[in-house]
Amino acid sequence: MSNLLPLIQNETLKIWKKKRFFVILLILAILIPIFTYAQMRMAENNKDKFADWRSQIIQQIADYQNALTSDRIPEEWKKYRRIMVQQLTYYLENDVDPSAPNAVTFTRGFMNNAVTLFIPLLVLSIGSDLISGERSSGTIKMLLTRPVRRWKILFAKLVALIFYISLTIISTLILCYAISGIFFGYGGWNLPVFTGFVINGAEVDSSGVHAVPHWLYIMMQAGLAWFSAVIVGLLSMMVSVLVRSTAASIVTMMATIIAGTILSNMASAWDTAKYIFSVNLQLTGYLDGSPPPIEGMTMLFSIGVLGVWGLIALIISFGVFTKQDILN
Amino acid sequence: MNNRPKGSAALWRIIAGAASLATLLLLFGFAYAVNDVLNPAAPAPAPGAPALDGQQPLLGSKEELKIVAIGDSLTKGTGDATGQGYVRRVVTGLAQKMDSQVKLVNNLAINGLRTEQLIDKLQHDTGMKYALKQADLILFTIGGNDLSKLAQTALRSDSANPDFGVEEIGKQLQDGLGRLDQVFKLVNEANPDAQIVYVGLYNPFYPIPELREGSLQVQKWNDEAYRLSFSYPHMKLVPVFDLFEDPGGTYLASDRFHPNGEGYAHIAERIVQMLH
Repeated sequence: MSNLLPLIQNETLKIWKKKRFFVILLILAILIPIFTYAQMRMAENNKDKFADWRSQIIQQIADYQNALTSDRIPEEWKKYRRIMVQQLTYYLENDVDPSAPNAVTFTRGFMNNAVTLFIPLLVLSIGSDLISGERSSGTIKMLLTRPVRRWKILFAKLVALIFYISLTIISTLILCYAISGIFFGYGGWNLPVFTGFVINGAEVDSSGVHAVPHWLYIMMQAGLAWFSAVIVGLLSMMVSVLVRSTAASIVTMMATIIAGTILSNMASAWDTAKYIFSVNLQLTGYLDGSPPPIEGMTMLFSIGVLGVWGLIALIISFGVFTKQDILN
Repeated sequence: MNNRPKGSAALWRIIAGAASLATLLLLFGFAYAVNDVLNPAAPAPAPGAPALDGQQPLLGSKEELKIVAIGDSLTKGTGDATGQGYVRRVVTGLAQKMDSQVKLVNNLAINGLRTEQLIDKLQHDTGMKYALKQADLILFTIGGNDLSKLAQTALRSDSANPDFGVEEIGKQLQDGLGRLDQVFKLVNEANPDAQIVYVGLYNPFYPIPELREGSLQVQKWNDEAYRLSFSYPHMKLVPVFDLFEDPGGTYLASDRFHPNGEGYAHIAERIVQMLH
């Protein structure tokens, strides 16, 4: 146990020195202003067209209802719109603006959209390099010839990885808030957000709906995003143990994650797809009550599926890493 | 490993501290979220629970004329390739005629809406009530789908259901008009001060000789609708049936049911003409 802490310190500093984390911050610092600008243009456009946010929501509801009357639109999409209509009506009847333009709302929206693809990609940039990076640079032999048990080395890498995942998520939040606040203002921490919509088919059960302040909602959202990110991290570590080169390991993981997003958009008829980890990444959707990619999925189910994937990844990583022969 | 430079030890402490704090915070958020979804807190009374009914719409500068449109596909503008329908054309037409600001607040028309559905919306849809309350001018159409449904049942019944005769059609027409009466009442109640324009019905099947007789039923509807509207001081009925009494169906869209762009333009013209 005594030599675990220096190992973690070593791995943490190694990742820091590789400047991967700076790249992540840089990407965020460049992308967030772009999204902020797009969002601002949209808000300005709506401001011109509508008297107030209520008129805007009322129009949105009417538009969804019109889409519902069209025979050309697939039943699956209609279901989504029916749910949206019921939720928007709930917001309207309680006189709460679901998208009041401020930095906190922007942060919430950004996290919600980033959780399936953007954050996993950022995590990959660190996780996929963990072992295969050592291999391609040859430092793995140095590492393993030390008088330290192999599982301890991998464990230290794992802790360092989780450290950086946490830092990534928190930095995303902070950067989002700081940058979008310049345009939208920094208020909105205590605005209510509704959570607890239960979706049964196309009906929304709003009996359990309750309001939480915005800051708490964002905490919950970030926590769920973090869990998804950690699972992606564990899987990328496993691939990085199995695959020799960093590039191959990043590509493998990226392909599965992108496949997941595509699947959750189109494969709602293929029931078994719900056991694929990348279909379950959008945990934040269960908070705002957006319909799950495949009917019948619940938050507990998704956390369970992700948990099992994570566990398997851990077992394989440690199993292989401790036994593996290091050649060349 | 103890012979590291001092700087990197400090760096390690900062990273480890920040990262542990972040991890704890996120773990808390995760646990809270899972708990919140599994054991939802008792639904708190909504924060500022004043329903929209009690809300006084922000009446901006009165120089601006606010229009709200409700009803069926005619108001929606279905069939118009430009997507303007008569509503947007009325907005531009009025702006020119009155030389003032005219703003479409909402067009809440929904394709295929029938009278009973509109009654339900007028009674229970707080959003629609809120929109209507803001309006200086309310444009609406309703009843076309009631009548065309009636026509379809009558057509099919010729062979399958011989009981469905003239009497039945007359009775259903009366029921429909009873609902129209209620619609008029509800719209007027929703905003007693606004100018209200009801666009009359036309017979889209006029070009089909066997269905031309439908015009008589349509006319019965318009006649009764005029009588009903007469008792409301702010309400006007704009007739448009004559535009579509053309065997060639010049003003009908390709679906042979809705007006085309030109047809909508003429409807809009008439509305603009009668508003002062």
